[in-house]
Amino acid sequence: MPTLEMVLNGKEVSIEVEAGDLLAPVLRDRLGLIGTKISCGEGECGACTVLVDGLTVTSCIYPALKAQGRDVTTIEGLGTAGQLHPIQQAFVDVTAPQCGYCIPGMVMSAKALLEKTPHPSEEEIKEGISGNICRCTGYYQIVEAIKLAAQRMAEEGGAP
Amino acid sequence: MSTRVLGQSVPKKDAATKVRGSRRFPQDFDKEGQLYAKVVWSESPHARVVKVDTSRAEALPGVVKVITAKDVPLNEYGIIIQDQPVLVGEGDKVRWLGDRIAMVVAESEKVAEEARRLVEVEYDPLPVVSDPREAMKPEAPLVHQERGDSNVFRHIKIRKGDWEKGFAEADVVVESYYVTPYVEHVYMQPDAGIGYIDEEGRVTVISSAQWPDHDLRQIAPMLKLHKEQVREIVPAIGGAFGGREDMHIQHLLALCAFCVRRPVKMVFDRHEVMIRTGKRHPWYVKYRTGARKDGTLTAVEIEIVSDSGAYASTTVPVLEAGTSFAAGPYVVPNAKVDSYAVYTNNAVTMAMRGFGTTQAALIYEMQMNKLADALGMDPVELRMKNLFHDGSIGLTGHEMPEGVGVEATLRQAALAAGWKEEDGHWIRPELDAPSAPYKRRGLAVTCGVKNVGYSFGSDDKATVGVQLALDQAGQIERVTVLSGACDVGMGAQTVLAQIAAEALGVSYDQVRVAMVDTLKVPDSGSCSASRLVWISGNALVRACQEALRKRDEILVAETGETSVETEFQFRGRSVKPTGPYDPETGMTVPHFAYGYAAQIALVEVDTETGETEIVKFWAAQDAGKAVNPGMVKGQAAGGVHMGVGYALTEEYIQQEGVPKTSYLADYYVPTVMDMPKEFTSLTVEVPDPTGPYGAKGIGEMTTLPTAPAILSAIHDAVGVWIDQFPATAERVWRAMQRQK
Repeated sequence: MPTLEMVLNGKEVSIEVEAGDLLAPVLRDRLGLIGTKISCGEGECGACTVLVDGLTVTSCIYPALKAQGRDVTTIEGLGTAGQLHPIQQAFVDVTAPQCGYCIPGMVMSAKALLEKTPHPSEEEIKEGISGNICRCTGYYQIVEAIKLAAQRMAEEGGAP
Repeated sequence: MSTRVLGQSVPKKDAATKVRGSRRFPQDFDKEGQLYAKVVWSESPHARVVKVDTSRAEALPGVVKVITAKDVPLNEYGIIIQDQPVLVGEGDKVRWLGDRIAMVVAESEKVAEEARRLVEVEYDPLPVVSDPREAMKPEAPLVHQERGDSNVFRHIKIRKGDWEKGFAEADVVVESYYVTPYVEHVYMQPDAGIGYIDEEGRVTVISSAQWPDHDLRQIAPMLKLHKEQVREIVPAIGGAFGGREDMHIQHLLALCAFCVRRPVKMVFDRHEVMIRTGKRHPWYVKYRTGARKDGTLTAVEIEIVSDSGAYASTTVPVLEAGTSFAAGPYVVPNAKVDSYAVYTNNAVTMAMRGFGTTQAALIYEMQMNKLADALGMDPVELRMKNLFHDGSIGLTGHEMPEGVGVEATLRQAALAAGWKEEDGHWIRPELDAPSAPYKRRGLAVTCGVKNVGYSFGSDDKATVGVQLALDQAGQIERVTVLSGACDVGMGAQTVLAQIAAEALGVSYDQVRVAMVDTLKVPDSGSCSASRLVWISGNALVRACQEALRKRDEILVAETGETSVETEFQFRGRSVKPTGPYDPETGMTVPHFAYGYAAQIALVEVDTETGETEIVKFWAAQDAGKAVNPGMVKGQAAGGVHMGVGYALTEEYIQQEGVPKTSYLADYYVPTVMDMPKEFTSLTVEVPDPTGPYGAKGIGEMTTLPTAPAILSAIHDAVGVWIDQFPATAERVWRAMQRQK
């Protein structure tokens, strides 16, 4: 079996996978990172969004071995229980999550957006999460949360 | 002391773990030594199963058991009518693609997947009943031969006043034929879970659910066990919208654990959820509305045929609820209504946000806007003339209870959208120019009304418990709320914590709401019917009051006791007894409480492509008392989202019982780009004197007015009425071509 070596949430990881394995089930079932959600299984809904070298991928259709030698960030790589990432904190503060199943993917899409575009317009925020389906919220509070996060991060002057 | 937690947008109890992805949904649980199960689904919408050969599957290494019909102690279930087989055995019929032949249990998911393909099933095809209007005819093939000689299993009649006279007195009559689509709930978390035997021998299921106690009332007889021998634990639920009122996976997990006595995990993929789980009922509706020149409604005549799919599910109460609101929140003195529930071989149809009142709102609001158009009257003014007020007489002859807030929502929405009220007349705003010369703008208004809680004589009740941990001085340190109220995402647990904090005079952070586990929390009824704030809130307030009384008694006695525990059961009938439809006239007291909404859509239609863009949207909802305004806004926006899909894009298409839209790639759920560019949420508070702190339900009401607002705005823009929904670009474009 081939070995997948990647930097996962800042740590080097080495794991044997089968050639056809997809990244999301490897993260969830083999590495215990359950924050990456599987919903549509066809790359349509964005619930499984993770970052590979800073760019969003839908990990439910992303071959695990494509992450070979790359830097992978999942929701577990953002914030801690005591110190939420500013994006996560903003989601909490504006009552953005409802059922919460799409939220890790939304947060990861927001992370990728703010890395690239620290001061996004509303239109850019919408584009940034246009690949993420949410069935509960109607998206407005999610957009609001990302706007708030961008504002707070700019004020703090820290890197996103 | 009031801490005024109520009315504050406190963070949801589960928000921090949800944004970190650490909160566990059913698919995130694993148990030591677990097996994996897969379902062998029906391959035909209507056929007799001649032979089921499991030998090849059983021979596959790693397969532990192939469960078939003969392994099910009592092979029938159903949320109301037990008309569904758990597994279809040899000689029995499959009636839709969601029927199951077998379940394969194996050491790994991969082996289970391989083995389910090895189960060989021989079918003898039967004629497929796919159109409920055809299915009503006497010569139609029967979906359930054993249930009488007709596919029609419920006919509701309303005969109010003299409708013929009403139409004779009308100056204008609007007549239409509507077809509403099949819609999938698309809760984001596919059904999943684990069945196992707990340490005390109970058959236990970890799964999403909307009413775990009622699941057990179905699972226990299926396994020929007592209810105490089964248990359901409900962790985080990834949405429901009515879609988890019926069991899709709970009973299957229980059966697996019962048969193999080991933990068994099963996860449906999206394709399975799309094809094999229930949907919103399509309605085929003939609708006539009569009114005088001054806009006063004189009569309605309505015929509703509801495609009820292969099994009854909640079809009867859905149709009963929808029918009771078929004329909307308007006073109609004369009415003739006939509603029919009809079995077909299409997907099972069931509860979905609105429970029949969503379809009703779609049609009665289209009628009202057509009427306004025919009368040349402002649509706000037409509604103001006919709207319900406290004490108004509704469609089934009942009196509307105190707290009718529909006029308040309409007024708020209309004023916000730019309407002006002058000398008792309402004048709509001038619209800005469209963004391109080939586009047209349109504006439309709609209202909605729905019951809170179960109707028609159902004994709706919720039991909620409270535990107080006291310090030595008798002050409350911590509070635990015990309730079977499932938080499907809307924030039931947060609301209960806020109500408890308010009632007990403690801070929000001091209150914990226990996880739903039927072993540990009382039955609070279902998470449905927009009822949890109202009914569980009512029970909780009383349990808290009782707890404070007990605490004071303990203090007086100086017993040194540091804990107090109470429980209260609140019944809807204590507020207002309801009853079933009179079989001949339909007259009854249908519901004990209500909620209201009004919305306005401003759209832009592309005359070259038929595409509709929603430019602005105003949503006004009457929360009675908004316990958590941030969550109310979330409900409004989420309701509008579902309404946008209902109006423009969502349609689960079946041909001869076989779906054509079975992935999210071809069943189009609106993304952020499809939502109204500008959205204004207006929360109105007209207290319900029977609700906790005046609160009403809003979860479903927020989706009722959306679709008809968008569809009527399309007419306002380009002059075509789209009566077969959704109004896809193609349908709008074709209608415009026909009009030319």
